[in-house]
Amino acid sequence: MKHAKRKSALLLMCSLLFVLTACSGNNGNAEQPTTAVKEGGDSKKQITLTFQNHYPDATDVQHKVMRQITDDYMAANPNIKIEVDSLNIDQQKIKLKTQAASNDMPDITVVNAAAQMAPFVEGGKLAPLNDILDRDGLGASFHSGILDYYTFDDKVYALPDGNNIAVIYYNKELFEQAGVAIPTTFDDLIKAAETFNGKQIIPMVVGEKETWTGSYFFMNILLRLAGPGYLSDVQAKTKDFMDPAFVQSVVKFREFIEAKGFQEGATSYDYDSAESLFTSGKAAMYFMGTWATGAMDDAEIKGKVGVFPFPTVDGKGDLDEYMLGPGTGFALSANSEHLEEAKDFLHYFMTNYPKVSFEFKNAVGVAQVVQGDFAQAGYSQLAIDVLDIFKKVKGGDIAFDNTMDPSTTQTHLNSIQNLFVSSIPPEDTAREHQNAFAANNQ
Amino acid sequence: MHAAKISKLTLSVFVLPCLILYVVLVFVPISVAAYYSLFQWNGIGEKLFVGLSNYSTMLAHDPVFWPSVWRTIMFAFFSMAEIPIALLIAVLLTRYVRKPNFLVSSYFLPVILSVVVIGQLWKSIYNPASLGGLLNNALDFVGLESWTRTWLADPEVSIFALFFVSLWQYLGYHILIQFTGIQNISQEVYEAAKIDGADGWKADRYITFPLVVPVFKISMVLAVIGSLKVFDMVMVMTAGGPAHATEVISTHMYNKTFAALEYGYGSAISIFLVIECLLATVLLNKLFKSSEDSMQ
Repeated sequence: MKHAKRKSALLLMCSLLFVLTACSGNNGNAEQPTTAVKEGGDSKKQITLTFQNHYPDATDVQHKVMRQITDDYMAANPNIKIEVDSLNIDQQKIKLKTQAASNDMPDITVVNAAAQMAPFVEGGKLAPLNDILDRDGLGASFHSGILDYYTFDDKVYALPDGNNIAVIYYNKELFEQAGVAIPTTFDDLIKAAETFNGKQIIPMVVGEKETWTGSYFFMNILLRLAGPGYLSDVQAKTKDFMDPAFVQSVVKFREFIEAKGFQEGATSYDYDSAESLFTSGKAAMYFMGTWATGAMDDAEIKGKVGVFPFPTVDGKGDLDEYMLGPGTGFALSANSEHLEEAKDFLHYFMTNYPKVSFEFKNAVGVAQVVQGDFAQAGYSQLAIDVLDIFKKVKGGDIAFDNTMDPSTTQTHLNSIQNLFVSSIPPEDTAREHQNAFAANNQ
Repeated sequence: MHAAKISKLTLSVFVLPCLILYVVLVFVPISVAAYYSLFQWNGIGEKLFVGLSNYSTMLAHDPVFWPSVWRTIMFAFFSMAEIPIALLIAVLLTRYVRKPNFLVSSYFLPVILSVVVIGQLWKSIYNPASLGGLLNNALDFVGLESWTRTWLADPEVSIFALFFVSLWQYLGYHILIQFTGIQNISQEVYEAAKIDGADGWKADRYITFPLVVPVFKISMVLAVIGSLKVFDMVMVMTAGGPAHATEVISTHMYNKTFAALEYGYGSAISIFLVIECLLATVLLNKLFKSSEDSMQ
């Protein structure tokens, strides 16, 4: 009996050992799927590249552009197969972080600019792309300054697809119906909200379940009151969040919420459902990055939409300064087994991106110089208006999550969401920011 | 016990596959999480060993943590309170409905629907009246305008709005379990009781309830563990907002780990969750053990 017990214990140990070795063995082969096809080729070996992006909606024009270029590339390079992994933005962010933690990143992926991609760069997960920028003048095709947001220590780690600014889209019909003029000051904006509410029209929509949307609006108030570069000053510790301009921004933001400027129950709306409130003509205004222009031209509201810049606040700020959206850039995994092929593909992709986008009428807010006459190509009046605004841009600032560390950013986002549902002293909101910043930047 | 002579060796060989699966899928990940919880780590770069400081921050300095725990526990209580109701419905079904299977299956229907579908459905039910929210429009219709609110955006009620959807979804599940439990009670017992003069509620009181206790217990454990782990419903409907008002332990862990990139801290929260689930199971088992003993 005793003997049997010992035997079974031994067996158990063996099995445990087996499990452990099996586990560790697995880790090494994590990138197997991409190499599996390798042996098949005769003259040129078959290679599969995974291309992760955030254009999941197949009816969306951005997805179509991506598909077109990818298919063209595969047609020209039959030995390369590109597997597209399209997810929506939040899912893609999480997936990439998980993949990075387990060293299993896709060959080509998408990262957000500046502070958001810093952990990936510092962790050595991304490959520098300077060599492909030098090839065939690809680097020169980008708007000046845009690559700075993707540069660390003089090395560029991602190539952006968009270069956007935040504007207020408005429904011309509803403005006329309510007799509201385009607001140029924040007080006008609040008055406009009151007028619209009086006529049972939603003044402005925001998808505050995705907390960055409200933050983007808030940051524009802050840009007017504190001027560009405020957050960088906070990071350099020459300013802090208790700054009167920051506190006053909170006050102004609350004023707009208390005037019921945003739709009822805003915190339960995600990006798409908020946007569709505007594109279905139920709301008068929509504050968003210019990337949304394509969606306006695709919807029933087409032809009725205009744009105007964010108004001045308390008489401060320059209308030609905008919240800039250096957006997202395509990056390559430093550990990719087919880094050279991936570089080739990315070079092809970015070289053709402006041209194909233009053909698909999606070239508003592209990060590269676009050749062609927009009006002649049949772009909408809205698109032309947005392009005109682009010409006036005199700088501005980038979003909170592009400047600050992820942990302080989360505190900020939740703190802004809190302003939608409760009235707390604005100094408390500022202090919450300052405490989080201090805790994460010792 | 003496029915078959099987050597311990054979037994262990047959248990082995399950054991391996269990170790790989449950034990290893938990140990890994416990290991990570000792580090300050953003999930990508270098790890910094910080000992138990993640735990002390969690227990003493995180303003979101305890409210999340409290909400989770409250949810577990609500789920437990639902089970007697499920039992009552199951008894009524057995007694008054001639072909109860159809009804039981209909009650079960929400369980097989995806949480995302249910979440989206209820989101539109909870919408403000101006945007076609069914609930608010119904309240308007019967003259209860003062009761209308933005159910998911009002921090006072949003967590209850969420609980309700979850309870609604799983009611059918528990009815099915209780119903099956009642079906398994031998008809002869009831017949014998009838001869002795115990009928109707009396029979339920002295026969159904005591005999259904093991099944009742399973329901209870499933409900409590299910609610401690609740995640998907919250994520779909509010993502923990507005301003943490619907945050539960698992969503807090998720947000900390993946949104704030505090991988080590998130792991500490997940270890807390594991311990909490284990504790709840042990507690429930003890509770039922004593009540079963007293009934025999």
